[in-house]
Formats: sequence, structure tokens, C-alpha cells
Amino acid sequence: MTTNTFIAGKGFLYRFDPRAKLLLLVLLCAFVFLPVSMPGLWLVVAVVFLTTWSSTGFKQALHPLRSILPLLIIMVVFIPLTHRDSEVVLSISGFPLVTTGALENFNLLAARFIGITYMCTLFFWTTPMGDIMLTLRWYGLSHKAALVLTLAFRFIPFIADAFQMIQDSHSMREPNLGEKDRRRQPLADVVPTVTSALVFALKSIPQLAMSLEHRGFGRAGARSAYRRLAPRKGLFTHFFFSVMIPASLWLVFNTLG
Amino acid sequence: MEKTNVSSQKTALRIALVAVLTAVVVVFTLMVRVPTPLKGYISLCDVVIYFAAYLFGPWAAAIAGGLGTGLADLLGGYAQWAPLSFIIHGAQGLLVALIARAPISAGVRGDAPFIRMVMGGLLGVIVMAGGYYIAGGFLYGFEPALVEVPLNLLQAGVGMVLGIIVSKTVQKAYPPVRSLYW
Repeated sequence: MTTNTFIAGKGFLYRFDPRAKLLLLVLLCAFVFLPVSMPGLWLVVAVVFLTTWSSTGFKQALHPLRSILPLLIIMVVFIPLTHRDSEVVLSISGFPLVTTGALENFNLLAARFIGITYMCTLFFWTTPMGDIMLTLRWYGLSHKAALVLTLAFRFIPFIADAFQMIQDSHSMREPNLGEKDRRRQPLADVVPTVTSALVFALKSIPQLAMSLEHRGFGRAGARSAYRRLAPRKGLFTHFFFSVMIPASLWLVFNTLG
Repeated sequence: MEKTNVSSQKTALRIALVAVLTAVVVVFTLMVRVPTPLKGYISLCDVVIYFAAYLFGPWAAAIAGGLGTGLADLLGGYAQWAPLSFIIHGAQGLLVALIARAPISAGVRGDAPFIRMVMGGLLGVIVMAGGYYIAGGFLYGFEPALVEVPLNLLQAGVGMVLGIIVSKTVQKAYPPVRSLYW
């Protein structure tokens, strides 16, 4: 099991400071929920998609869209049930199938959902997991919380491999192919595997706690500390852009004025 | 030689407990899937959240449940759901444990009573399905979000049943689990 979401690529986002990039992500996610014009919202979505395309390639850029496609189809299917009282665009035997209100609502929700999906995905594709951790530390994540996260990442492949082996060994207890006297019970069959996997994982906890103590956890003079993100040139500029991009978009596309 | 005190030993154990449970939640979310009659799948992340809530208390369940499902969303390619999963499953674990383990927190010795496990579990089912419905409603509309409610109810319900069963079987198979607590 892979525990890395980073995809090597090219483009300004790879050179953008992760601290500023995280701020930009949060502000852009907030932007899509503000009262902005639809062309403005779709423009932002298009720019984010094009950035994903230029950073990781077209094929890779389609992945997030594929993952949310079922939900988009469900949204289309549910159009006839929403905003029945507005102007009818299409009707079948008197039943209002599509209304202007429903279309506007679908337009807004689809733009928001696609936009948020691409923004979040792009952040994790263009930022190495180590840098994300250090960014969170820079924003105030405690040492203990960071330790939990890094240890969890360390243990995911270990437990996944063990689980696979446990699952394989339990599957050997199932009846032979062709023997139809025993009905398959998905839930009952899963209990022994889940129990074994949990016991295996729990057995590693005391050892891990001891390892932490041996490494000096809890001592006054800590023997190790997390690396800090280097104070880089242009950090202020990156933060400036992170604030100015959403602020400018809001000023141009807001529908309040 | 400098010695670690009891408090830091306890903290080390808690960190190890939560880290391993978080990893287990991720693995169970991404790897363990039970087929449903509609040719779909439901994940078993809720089993670990309920299991942690029944055996290890509210903080372990909340942190491991929230972090684990959030990380699983990130690694599974659904980054947009990660913060929501963190909050929803975190709240689920916290509330289930608070109700199920209330007598233990009050000083009563023994395991969480069965009836409280079920009561807490049912609240967890409602929190999970309701939380995703509200989150989905804001993200892609309340009508389409209704489609996911039955599946979420099924997943959380299965998680509750298996969580109760597994919390008993694990205690039988590995009695020292009682010494691991938050």
C-alpha cells in the first residue's frame, strides 16, 4: 500500500512554498462558498484544472474527475426533484423535468464540488508528505500530534502487509471450489480475520511505546527534534500571492456590489 | 542517567496506541471491503472506531477514528473529504465511547455494559450518517446526498455489530489489551 500522494511534475506549484500553498488552498476553498458570479466560479475551476493538467499531465488530471463522476451523475439524476416551482425548461407529459432553478443550482454545486476536489487534490499531488507535515508543524501542530501522524504513516504498510497475510491464511480455511454445502457469509467470515489483524496490531503497541522511551521521549533534554522548514527567500512574496489571488478574485467576481 | 517519569511513559503508550489504531483504521478503510447486494462495497473503518471506543475510551477513538479516516481519504484520492471525515468520524468515536464507557469513567470496574454499547453505537450510526448527509448537502446538494444515507447507515450499522463482536473476541484472544487504555 502506498502512503505517498506526491506526484513528480513540473510547474510553479512545485516551487511554491507549502506554507503559502496551504493558505491559498484554504482561502480558495472558502472563496467557492462566497456569493460570486457563475462565470467567475467556473473560471477559477478551469484555471485549477489547467494547472493540474500542466503540472501532472492530462491523463493524471482526469483522475479526480473520474472519482467524482458517479456523484455528478447522481446530481444530474436528482435535478427533476429540485426547484420544481421555478420556470420550466423541459417537461414530459406535464411533469416539469428540468427547471431554470434546478439548472442554476446544479451549475453552482457542480462548480463548487469540482473546484474543491481539484484544489485539494492538487495540493497533495504537488507537495511531498514530509513538507506537509513540516508545514502543519509550522502552523502550530504539536510535537506529539506530529509523532502520532508520522508513526501512523510508518505503520500503515506494515499492518497492511500483515493484514494481507492474515487474510490469505484465513482464506485457506474456506471450502474447496465446487463444494456448495456451505453458504458464504461475508460478515461472519470477516470476524476471524479482523480479530487476528487487530491482535497483531495491538501487540506492537507496547514495543512501540518502549521504543519511544528508548529514543528519549519524555526526557527533559530531547535527543531529537523535527526538522524545520528552511526560511526561504521569497516566502513573504508567496504569502502575498496566496492572499492576493483569492482577494482579487473576490473583488472581481463578487455579486454583492 | 536521566529517567523517564511515569507520566511520560503513559504519554508514550498513548501515542503508540493512537498511532497504531490510526494505521489500522487506514488499512481497514482502504483494504477491507464487504460486498453489498447492489454490487457495491462498504468499508470496515467503523469497526475499528467502535472497537477503539469500546475498549480504549473517547480520546483514542476520536483521534484514531478522525485521523485514520482522514488519512484514508487522502491516500484513496478523495482529499476533499478528508477534513469532513476527520470531524465526522472523530465525533462518532468520541460520542460512542462517552456513552458506552460512562460507568467505567465513573469508577465501575469491568467492561462497558452491552446495553450502553448498543446505545452509544446507535448514536454513532446517526452521527456518521447524519454528518455525511449534512456535509454532502453543502457540497453537492441535499437531494443527491440522500442517496448515500442508506449506505452510510449500513456501513455504520455493520461497524457497530462487528465492533461489539470484535471487542469481545479480541479481549479473549489477547487479554493484555485491558492494560492498554487512554
